[in-house]
Amino acid sequence: MLEQILASLDESEREAIDEEELQVLERVESELVTFPSEPSHLLPILQHIQARHGYLPKLALRLVADYVGVAIGKVYGIATFYNQFRFNPPGRNPIKVCLGTACHVKGGDIILENFERRLGIREGETTADREYSLERVACIGCCALAPAVVVGDKVEAYVTPSKVEGIITEIEVRKEMAAREQKKNETANG
Amino acid sequence: MSEKIVTITVDGKKITAPEGAWLLPVCLEHDIYIPSLCWLKEMDDPPASCRLCLVEIEGLPEPVASCRCPVREGMVVRTNSDEILKLRQVAFRLLVSTNDGHCNTCIANRSCELQQIAKFLHQPLRTKRLRHIDRDYPEIIDDHPVLMYEPKKCVLCGRCVYVCSQNERGYKLDFAKRGMDTIISFYGSDIDPAAKECADCLACTEICPVGALSSKEKWRRFIAEVRLKQEQKKQKPS
Amino acid sequence: MKQPTGSPVERLAVLGAAAGEAVERLRQSPVPVIEVGCATCGRAAGALETIAGFEEALAANGVEAEIRRVGCLGHCYAEPLVTIRYPGFPPLLYQKIGPGEAGILVRSFLKDGSDPCYEYLIGALEPDENFPTLMDYPRYLFEKRVVMEQCGLIDPEDIDHYLAAGGYRALAEGLEKGGEWVLEEVKAANLRGRGGAGFPAGRKWEIARSVDKTRVIICNGDEGDPGAYMDRTLLESNPHQVLEGLILAALAIGAGRALFYIRAEYPLAVEIMEKAIAAARERNLLGEDILGSGFTLEVGVFKGSGAFVCGEETALISSLSGHRGMPRPRPPYPAVAGLDGLPTIINNVKTLSTVPAIIRNGHQWFHEIGTENSPGTAIFSVVGEVEYPGLVEVPMGVTLAHLVNDICGGVKDGKALKAVQIGGPSGGCLPVSLLDTEIDFDSLKKVGAMMGSGGLVIMNEDTCMVEVARYFTDFTQGESCGKCTFCRIGTHHLREILKSITIGEGRIEELEDLEEISTSVIKGSLCSLGKTAPNPVLTTLRFFRDEYLAHIEEKRCPARMCRNLTAFYIDLEACARGCDACVACCPTEAIFTTSNRKKAIDQEKCVKCGECVYACPPEYDAVRRVSPPELIPDQGVQPLDSGAGSEKEQ
Repeated sequence: MLEQILASLDESEREAIDEEELQVLERVESELVTFPSEPSHLLPILQHIQARHGYLPKLALRLVADYVGVAIGKVYGIATFYNQFRFNPPGRNPIKVCLGTACHVKGGDIILENFERRLGIREGETTADREYSLERVACIGCCALAPAVVVGDKVEAYVTPSKVEGIITEIEVRKEMAAREQKKNETANG
Repeated sequence: MSEKIVTITVDGKKITAPEGAWLLPVCLEHDIYIPSLCWLKEMDDPPASCRLCLVEIEGLPEPVASCRCPVREGMVVRTNSDEILKLRQVAFRLLVSTNDGHCNTCIANRSCELQQIAKFLHQPLRTKRLRHIDRDYPEIIDDHPVLMYEPKKCVLCGRCVYVCSQNERGYKLDFAKRGMDTIISFYGSDIDPAAKECADCLACTEICPVGALSSKEKWRRFIAEVRLKQEQKKQKPS
Repeated sequence: MKQPTGSPVERLAVLGAAAGEAVERLRQSPVPVIEVGCATCGRAAGALETIAGFEEALAANGVEAEIRRVGCLGHCYAEPLVTIRYPGFPPLLYQKIGPGEAGILVRSFLKDGSDPCYEYLIGALEPDENFPTLMDYPRYLFEKRVVMEQCGLIDPEDIDHYLAAGGYRALAEGLEKGGEWVLEEVKAANLRGRGGAGFPAGRKWEIARSVDKTRVIICNGDEGDPGAYMDRTLLESNPHQVLEGLILAALAIGAGRALFYIRAEYPLAVEIMEKAIAAARERNLLGEDILGSGFTLEVGVFKGSGAFVCGEETALISSLSGHRGMPRPRPPYPAVAGLDGLPTIINNVKTLSTVPAIIRNGHQWFHEIGTENSPGTAIFSVVGEVEYPGLVEVPMGVTLAHLVNDICGGVKDGKALKAVQIGGPSGGCLPVSLLDTEIDFDSLKKVGAMMGSGGLVIMNEDTCMVEVARYFTDFTQGESCGKCTFCRIGTHHLREILKSITIGEGRIEELEDLEEISTSVIKGSLCSLGKTAPNPVLTTLRFFRDEYLAHIEEKRCPARMCRNLTAFYIDLEACARGCDACVACCPTEAIFTTSNRKKAIDQEKCVKCGECVYACPPEYDAVRRVSPPELIPDQGVQPLDSGAGSEKEQ
């Protein structure tokens, strides 16, 4: 299926697909067969691709459309309707700032601004090095611990502007440590 | 739909219709005009989304969309009460507040249904009362090989999506995004070989009430004409 | 697993007895048991770190104990919550237990039972001579726990806990007496839908039952109201109760298909429910020929994808069918023609959770709780500026004042209560003068609010009501599906007008526009999202018009919340020389040292986050907030070394 789709593209379009995306597409193609090929399973299929690969590449939507037998425009229409789906690769550390009622009353938007300032990106964007992505979410149901932020899959409670700094520093320190560890292993092995 | 014929009263006028028929076409057949944008005669399941066809029905607490209100014996309908007129006017003002209002350079000028409804409701096409909403989209979206789309003219009635879905061939139009960002999308038409077949159909461009969808070819000819006229105008006074 | 034989009630008795023994063994365990509240909120407060802290301390001190994860008690202010069952003591509930406190509990209490650490103790779960019990606190005394009775006390991932507490007894009885009897009980109980609208569940079921097709029952767990999280708690903390309710409802309408629709933002709820379904299947409480009754039912879990509007029944069905989650005009009603054209009943998590108790205790019992027209209890998530936020279950008919002041401890930090926002984005903001309003479906509607899904946000004098209206409108506008004109464009205009008012650019005639658009959106919208979206605007306009006027006419935000109309300055009289507390916390380096070595704020750089207010030591309390910004007094501030080039310029 993927082969046929790729063959139908212009050369310039084919060249625009990088190695990483191609790998994602190949995996999506092999994973699709675990789902019934019916339009009513579109959402579970898209959820699976989003959860596994972090975003929905255009050609993956084409694969899904062909697989369940609907038009690609419909698949895109569905995917863009729901908050959950992304069309660009996310950062390695996705940050979601809750702006539910309780978080709003307790200054959730100020927290969002602090992340924006600290990371130099706007809500909905990913940093150039793909390290962080930032988005706002409606209530995550942790209202009594407001304002709350989800970093990766961990919920951070009672976030303040200075805690924003702490969250980023913690990620940076962990990254630094991992890099050192790797270097040490490399020297040991080399 | 049953064969039974029932009598209803619309704005004081008694009319007959098959029981269960949608009220809007029944009224239109009897020369009672009710404005609408999203409704088409052949639809089994009208979306009732434009909300211009709201009417009052005796005994119901709220106005209902006549395009999908089934006719029942003895129903008493009002299409011109103050409340209904007000609601329609507000709905219309809301619709035009998102419109770019460039009627003179619009392909649908003089055949535009929004212009007709404006006349009927005695409403201006550019509302002063509300702020203009400039949706965050380009003037023209043309990533389809055959079609082009002007999102700032579109009223999102969905007729194009409906007629497209009734047709087997070609790229399938659909809504994309949500809320104020909703648009008609050509997504993937660049990687869909069927998109070229749209040249043989163009049903969506014909059904569009406001000229937001056109074939690229027709649009190019139209723009050339507009330019020509503008130049002639410029030359005349000199 | 070997299945018992006999009638459903007999079979359940066997299952219940086995579960009772298993749980009793645990209770009598010679090693202490540590139960940690591990619902999403507990985890956010650090419950997993607490568990790690216990594990580490137990190992380091060579103490033996079993750690179990339980759900949420609803006392969110006290998270992470830990219950310790130590032989010879009643079960003891502790609050705010981090890894450090966990270590202390292990060393002082768990090691040898010498010191039960009163400093962290809330109370005993059972009456006891030596310990205060939970009933000694107003929060527990005034609550009436029916639906949340077991939450936080049982292990949600162990079906035996639920069975031992009498779980699935209602199902067995229902299976013996038949679906029609269940339907009649629920109808007689007048159980009104807890999802917001309050339509009687039994009447809805009856409509579906009368349609001769395969019927579908769906549990609506697409809880999207920002500020409400009781559905999540029930799914996470007592999944079997919801499941039992769903099976009973399926039995009542004679459903052939059953589904949970749970929002994507609740991954833990999905995981726990999937486990619960598997466990129930294993014991033949689900699947083919349930408990030998001949009734067969399979239950699936469908994850929502993040769209608030999908809480609306017809949109939920669109989304289940693999479409954009857009509402459809009614009729046909889902109870007649819903999913795949089949009669479909959609009930809220709380509604279904109430069903087992009604079947177990009978409809007369249910009528003893609550009011005549709204029997039973209501669950609220009380959040915002309140002393004890969390989930509260009260009988219908108690007043808002009782709920806020008596049960939840009143407004935090002794500030004045200004408003209560009830019912989420479709609800309304009620002023203090309406605090005597009784909480039930009809009384709330009368004052322009609604029960909604039970979100209750307490607002104090520092909350701006215009900003609150803007926030809710922003939310509903963002979640509008975009289908119908009124909701799509109308709510957008509402939001834009409100936004301009909060930044001081509002015009007085726009108040009329707000009212006209609001009433039109309510009358003309296609679905209930649009029909209720303007409620926050209309109620704030009605009860807090003076605040709107202050913003428009004086460019002043009375609550000093709207940032464009507010400024911060440091009172040099109060500021302490040499103190740097505020400087370190300022995210934009807007605070500089003055010539007399005190601090001042550079208004150009200040983003008005308020962090310095919290950083300033309470004994100085020198940061002031004013609105409009022109009220900043001239204190003759000179930056340090201003003559020789200030710090700012370096």
